Amino acid sequence: MSQPSTMEAADRRFGWFMSAPGLALLLAVILFPVFWALFTSVHEFTLIAPNFDTFTGIENYAAALGDPAFRHSLGLTAFFVGAVVLIEFAIGFLVALMLNGVERFKPIYYGILLCPLLMNPVIVGLIWRMFLHPSLGIVNYLLTVAGFEPVNWLGSTKMAIWTIIMVDIWHQVSFMIVLLLAGLSSLPKEPYEAARVDGASVFQSFFFITLPLMMPVIIVTLLIRMIFAVKTYDLIYIMTRGGPGVATDLVSYAIYRTAFVSLNIGEASAMSAILLAVILIFTGYLYRYMRTLT
Amino acid sequence: MLKQSLLGLALATALSTVAHAESVNILMEGVPDTEYVKTLLPEFTKETGIEVNLEVVNYAEMHTKLVPQLVAPKGSYSAIVVDFYWVGEFTKAGWLMPLDDRIKADGFDASVYVPKLMDLVGQVDGVTYMLPFYNYAMGLLYRTDLLADEANKAAYLEETGEELGPPKTWGEYLQQVKFFTKGDMHGVVNQGLRPDPIAMEWSNYLFANGGEYHDADWHSTLNTPAGVAALDQYKANVEEYGPLGAASFSFDEAFNVMAQGGAYSYITYNFFRAAIDDPSQSTVAGKVEIMPVPGQEPGVGASLNGAWGWAIPKSSPNPDAAWTFLKWVESHDIAKKRALQGGSPTRLDVFDDADVNAKYPYTGAMKDMLLTSHNFPVFTYTPQLVEVLGRELSLAVAGEASSADALAAVETEMNELAKKDGKLK
Repeated sequence: MSQPSTMEAADRRFGWFMSAPGLALLLAVILFPVFWALFTSVHEFTLIAPNFDTFTGIENYAAALGDPAFRHSLGLTAFFVGAVVLIEFAIGFLVALMLNGVERFKPIYYGILLCPLLMNPVIVGLIWRMFLHPSLGIVNYLLTVAGFEPVNWLGSTKMAIWTIIMVDIWHQVSFMIVLLLAGLSSLPKEPYEAARVDGASVFQSFFFITLPLMMPVIIVTLLIRMIFAVKTYDLIYIMTRGGPGVATDLVSYAIYRTAFVSLNIGEASAMSAILLAVILIFTGYLYRYMRTLT
Repeated sequence: MLKQSLLGLALATALSTVAHAESVNILMEGVPDTEYVKTLLPEFTKETGIEVNLEVVNYAEMHTKLVPQLVAPKGSYSAIVVDFYWVGEFTKAGWLMPLDDRIKADGFDASVYVPKLMDLVGQVDGVTYMLPFYNYAMGLLYRTDLLADEANKAAYLEETGEELGPPKTWGEYLQQVKFFTKGDMHGVVNQGLRPDPIAMEWSNYLFANGGEYHDADWHSTLNTPAGVAALDQYKANVEEYGPLGAASFSFDEAFNVMAQGGAYSYITYNFFRAAIDDPSQSTVAGKVEIMPVPGQEPGVGASLNGAWGWAIPKSSPNPDAAWTFLKWVESHDIAKKRALQGGSPTRLDVFDDADVNAKYPYTGAMKDMLLTSHNFPVFTYTPQLVEVLGRELSLAVAGEASSADALAAVETEMNELAKKDGKLK
């Protein structure tokens, strides 16, 4: 009995030995910046005086949370993330289900779908800013040709955030499609065959087989997309700079401004830590929920 | 064999010396003035033997690229260009090398620069840290063809009782904006995107109403009748007399509206004067002129000044070579060659040069703009002020704050920043 366990221990040691360099590198590039940011967040560290001479404790955190603009950005980001993730999921799942049944020209559909995802967000922002120019853009031109009034896409406080949501959906929905399609392709065929024999309808198959089996994939997809959506910065920088007013002032852009305009790296780090805590709590909740499902 | 080896060694040494000829590295923004400098660099290398490597990036990348190099004991940039936004920050942090000793030792004449530019991107508290590179003061672009139109002249006379011509005062300009707003034509196009497009453009409105950012003690003076009037006028221009969406326009989008003949006027950076005459991007080439933003009285200018300066960082690996380059690029001959390509001068002797005036007849108007211009507050926290100002102006234009409330918020934050910087006691 001792022979296999000795071998197992040796295998485990060898495994750790082989993984150690990669793990060390991973820790260095992920944990070091996180700890550096946390350390900075409790000091008065600015780009004008980049040193750790003054320990400030929770002052930077209190300043961030006491700032109505930051709280507004957090709330707006929650709305933005909720909207883009849910809408992209709805569209993405629908398209993935449709594509899952397609047999011919699949690579062509994949190619077309992946095009927006391959584009740099800066380019996406510039292109859409051009398309949505109120008087010279093609979108309003087509609307007026069709007999509609031109829309103030980015200049209206009510419309601007929805415009950003729309552009983000255009850019990112294929990410949802690809992940969900991968999940759908890997589902076992037997439950569907059994359901068909039992006379289940398409909707019954979807709600009682596809949806439960897909749940872990769906949660991971939503989680990844949510984390990416929280970090949305490029589109805001290119398209609105947080305006008009503060209508599109998402939290990542607010943190960027605090760090590189106000040069206050300490407070920006505190803001990032607050954001990290919120994301971790949400991720932890979804992860636990996923574990209960599996 | 030994001889051959020694000869080879000598040749290799000579070649490596050539390969390691001195070079000057400069980080610059991708703008036309940088291109004009680039075309002249072979002359500098021929004269001095010093190679020049320009790293050209867009504006958004410049600050984040510069700061790590400036903080380091020895950076990789021999010389840099500094926007007036950063002057307070860079000098307060002690990142720039004072140039006075070099200027004195080499007899470089810094008195040829427009004094307002030396105040903005030349000297700080009496110490010269930069040589003004190019200016981007703002001016009023207006349609000369619309002013010359007989039907317009008659209608304007009937409506206002005044002759139609380039506006002599701010009040007359606002009247013309209203007059020219008919059908698809707009009296004005604004650049309402936050933070800098709106903050910079609105500054002209503030100065035109006789307002200023602060008093002699750095107390903010924005929430005043002049400031409120300026913001009310700005809102009216965006909402009533401008095209749809101007509240979100950056300068390129606003310029496109002007260049496609959609507006009578546009208060913008002086470099658009040359661009509007380019038929490849403008349908109104030859029909637009530039003038200083008019003030309360005829002859009083209200243009906002703006400029970049050359500087040598303390972290420069080779400050002597960098100074050799600065002296050359800012010499009269090279500054004139840049201006003849379309560059925006900073030296009075280039503004007055006959060849430059012959090629660009609006050079005189550009000079007037600078001489009567107003500077934006330059202190350590200029970028934050622009950010706060942009946010509050944008809120006011969006109708989410009254002009007085928005300006009161800017005043409070500006006073805090000035206190933090030691300007306001």
